[in-house]
Amino acid sequence: MATLRVENLWMEYGAQTVLERVNLDVADGAFCALVGASGCGKSTFLRLLLSQERPTRGTILMDGQPLPQDPGPDRGVVFQRYSVFPHLNAVQNVALALEIARAPGLGRLFGKARRAALSEAEVMLADVGLGHACGHYPAELSGGMQQRLAIAQALARKPRILLLDEPFGALDPGTRTQMHGLISRLWRETGMTVFMVTHDIREAFALGTRVLVFDKTRHDPQAPGAYGATITYDLPVDRSTSKVPSASEEKSAP
Amino acid sequence: MAELRKKIARTLRVGLVAVAALGVALAGGPAEAATKTSFKVAWTIYAGWMPWGYAVDQGIVKKWADKYGISIDMVQMNDYIESINQYTAGSLDGVLAANMDALTIPAVGGVDTTSLINGDFSNGNDGILMKTGKTVADLKGAKVNLVELSVSHYLLARALESASLSERDVKTVNTSDADFIAAYGTGDVQAMVAWNPALSDLKTRKDANLVFDSSKIPGEIIDIAIVNTATLKDNPALGKALVGAWFEVLSIMQKNDAAGIAARTAMAKASGTDLAGYESQLATTRMFYTPAEAVAFTKSPQLPETMKRVRDFSFSHGLLGNGAKSADVVGMEFPGGVVVGDPKNIKLRFDLTFVEMAAAGKL
Amino acid sequence: MRRLINLRPSRQGTFFLGALPFAIVLVIYFVFSSLRLAENPADKLMPAFSTMGEAIVRVAAEPEQRSGTIVLWADTGASLVRLALGLGIATAIGLVFGILNGLIVYARVTLAPFVGVLSMVPPMALLPILFIMLGLEETSKVALIVIGVAPYLMRDLALRVEELPGEQLVKAQTLGASTWVIVARVVLPQILPRLIDGLRLSLGPAWLFLIAAEAIASTEGLGYRIFLMRRYMAMDVILPYVAWITFLAAISDWVLVQISRRAFGWAHLGRGA
Repeated sequence: MATLRVENLWMEYGAQTVLERVNLDVADGAFCALVGASGCGKSTFLRLLLSQERPTRGTILMDGQPLPQDPGPDRGVVFQRYSVFPHLNAVQNVALALEIARAPGLGRLFGKARRAALSEAEVMLADVGLGHACGHYPAELSGGMQQRLAIAQALARKPRILLLDEPFGALDPGTRTQMHGLISRLWRETGMTVFMVTHDIREAFALGTRVLVFDKTRHDPQAPGAYGATITYDLPVDRSTSKVPSASEEKSAP
Repeated sequence: MAELRKKIARTLRVGLVAVAALGVALAGGPAEAATKTSFKVAWTIYAGWMPWGYAVDQGIVKKWADKYGISIDMVQMNDYIESINQYTAGSLDGVLAANMDALTIPAVGGVDTTSLINGDFSNGNDGILMKTGKTVADLKGAKVNLVELSVSHYLLARALESASLSERDVKTVNTSDADFIAAYGTGDVQAMVAWNPALSDLKTRKDANLVFDSSKIPGEIIDIAIVNTATLKDNPALGKALVGAWFEVLSIMQKNDAAGIAARTAMAKASGTDLAGYESQLATTRMFYTPAEAVAFTKSPQLPETMKRVRDFSFSHGLLGNGAKSADVVGMEFPGGVVVGDPKNIKLRFDLTFVEMAAAGKL
Repeated sequence: MRRLINLRPSRQGTFFLGALPFAIVLVIYFVFSSLRLAENPADKLMPAFSTMGEAIVRVAAEPEQRSGTIVLWADTGASLVRLALGLGIATAIGLVFGILNGLIVYARVTLAPFVGVLSMVPPMALLPILFIMLGLEETSKVALIVIGVAPYLMRDLALRVEELPGEQLVKAQTLGASTWVIVARVVLPQILPRLIDGLRLSLGPAWLFLIAAEAIASTEGLGYRIFLMRRYMAMDVILPYVAWITFLAAISDWVLVQISRRAFGWAHLGRGA
C-alpha cells in the first residue's frame, strides 16, 4: 500500500553514531524483515520509520512524500510488550481505534455509533482468533493472545505501513508458529507494506520477502561508537518456496 | 515555627496524657500521698507568675525547701492547660492556675485541691477589644474571637451582663491564644477577648477599642497557687517552703532599689519583653505583695461571692461535668468555715494556714 | 513438629487473633480506669465506659442547650465538608498538574522544580500566613488541607504518568489520537486507580491538617470540639471523639478501596499487558 524510500540516513546520539549511510527502496506491499546483532540499530531504524525519533541526516520518503513529524495512523505498530491498553478490555481496545478515527476531537463515540464500533471490533477480534475473549482485559490474556489483540488494534485503522518490533520475541515456539501464519495471512489480505524487526533469522526468512541485515562496516577499536551500522545485506526471499503454516494451523487456540 | 509545632504536639499529648496516667496509676499517684521529701510543681509564663521563675533561678525556692528538709522541682511548662491537666492526672503536686480553671479541671475531676496562695487578680490584664464598636452594647450581634471556656469567656459573660446582654446575643469563635495577634489582623475578626501580653500589643492598633477589661470586675479573675490537699496535709513542709519563697521574691521585686529593678528586669526578659513592658503588665495585675494583703483578700466576703459566680458560669457551660445535676455538685471551702456548694464533696479549699504563718513571721 | 513459618490459623482463629489486641487494649484501659475511679470517682483522665456512654448520648442524641444543635453531628458535618472540599480541590489540582507534569515536557521543565520546592514547605508553617491572607473562616481551613495534600498528589500522579510505558503513547498516536485524546482515553483512566491510592495515603495528613486548622479558630468541627473539651479535660468526650475520627477515617479508606475495586477492576488483575 505504500512505497518507502530512505536516502543517506544517519542517526547520531552525541558522539555515538548508530546508523550511517542507510539507503533503501521498498516496493509497495513488501514484507521486510530487519535482522542484525543486538544494538546494531535495527530498532532505531524502526523508530525512525515511526517518527518516534528524527534522523540526524538524510530523508525518509513515504509514497514520495517526507514522513510526517509525529507518529500517525498511516503507520501502525506492534511492540513486543505494552502495545495494548490495560484499562480497556479486548473489544474496547480495538474499538478505541475506530472511536478515534470517527470522533478525533473527543476520541469517544456514544450510543448507536459506539455500539456499531464495538460490533465491528468484535468482528476484527474474531478474525485474529479472539472472538471468545472480547470481554477480557489484557492482564487476563496469554502473551500470544495479547499480541493478537495488539495486531487487531493496529490494523483497525488500516495503516499503509505496519511496523513490528520483535512482536513474537516473548512467545513460546508453538504460539510463535501460529502467529507467523496469522501475520502472513493478514499481510496478504491487506497488501500493507510491513517492516518487522526480529533477532530470529529463521523467522525473518519465513516471513519476509526481503531480509535486511544491519551491521557495521567500519570499526575503530579505540572508539566503538564512532561508526554506525548500515544495511550490509539485502536478500530477496521467494515466498512461494518458504514454509509458512497454513491458515487452519494459525487459528488453533494459542 | 515553634508555636505551631507545639500545637501539633499538643494534639498528640492529649492522647499521651492517658498513657502517662497508666504509669501514674501503676506507681501510685499523689492521691495516696504520705510523707515524702521531693515534690514537683509547675508554672507557666504569665505576668503574675514570673516571680516563681526568678525564685528558682536565684535559688530562693531551694533555700526554703532546704530549710524544711524537702526538695521542690519547680518546672516551667510551655502550655498552661497542659500543666493543669498534668496536675489533675496526678503527675504534679502543685501548679499555678486561674481560679476558674482550678475549679473546673482538678476540683471537678475529683482531685481535692487547696489554694495555697492567692497571688494576684487580673486588674486589666484581660480585655475585650472591638474593631468598630466602642461600648459593650455594641457587641450585640457581633462575632467574638476568644479562647472558649477560659477566663476570657467568663469575662465576656460578665461584660455582656453589665450591658444587659447575654451570650445568645453574640457568636463566639474559639481561637487559640497563640494566634491572637495574627487572627486580629484578619478581616474576619470583629471583636476579641485577649489577655496580656497579646492584649497590650493589640491595644496599640488603630482598629482596636477596649470596650471592657478585668479592672471592671476587680478580684474575680484570680491567679492562685494550688496543691494537692492530701499531699499538703501529709507534708506541711511543702506549703511552708512555697509560701516562704513566694513572699521573699515579692519583697525583693516590689522595691525600687537596684535588687528590685534587677529582679523585674530578669522577669521581663524571661517573659519576652523589656522592663517597661513588664511593668505595664504588672500595672494591670493586682499583686498581693505582702501576706497581710493576701490574707485580707482571701478573708473578704467577696471571694465566696466571686467563686459562686464563677461556679454558676461553669455550670451553665457544662464545665462541672457530665453528671452535674446542679451547680452545687462541687463544694468550695473558704476561711471561717464558709462553704459554697456541696459540703460533703469539698474539692477546692482556700486555705490561709501558711499565708497567716508568713504574716505572723513564723516561717 | 512443623515449622512456625508453615503454620496457618483457621478462619475462626484468624478472627480471634485479629480481635485480641483490641480486647487487650480495652481490658487494660478498663483495669486502670477502674483502679483510678476506685480512688477518685470523679477522675477525669480515664473515665469509665459507662461515663463515656453517657457523654456519647449527650453529644450524639441531645441538642446542646446554648446552640440547640446536636454537637456530634454538627461537628462531623462541618469537618467532613471541610475535608471533602480540601481533598476534592487537591485532587483536581493534583490531576491537572500531575498529568501536565508527567506528560508534557514543556510543562514539566517549567513547573516541576517549583512543585518540588513547594512540596517541601511544611504546610503547618504556612498556617498563620493563610489566616492573614484568607481569613479565619472556612477558606483557610480548606486551603491548609489543599496545600498539605495537593503537592504530594501532583508529584505522585506525575510519577505514575511518567511510568506509563512509552509504547502505549506511541501506539495511541498511531491510532490517530491527539494529545487531548491521549489524556482523556489513555492517561487519565489509567492513573485514576493510582489517584485513589494517593488519596488513601493522604487521608491521614488531611485529618491532621483539618484538626490543626480547627484548633486555631472555629465554631464547630471535630478538632474544635477536642481542643475545647481539652480546656477542661473532658476525656469522656475526647476519647469517643478520637474513636469516632478513627472510625470515619477507616470508613473513608474502605469506601475508596471499594470504589477502586468496582470502578477499576482491571487495575486489580495484577500486572497489565
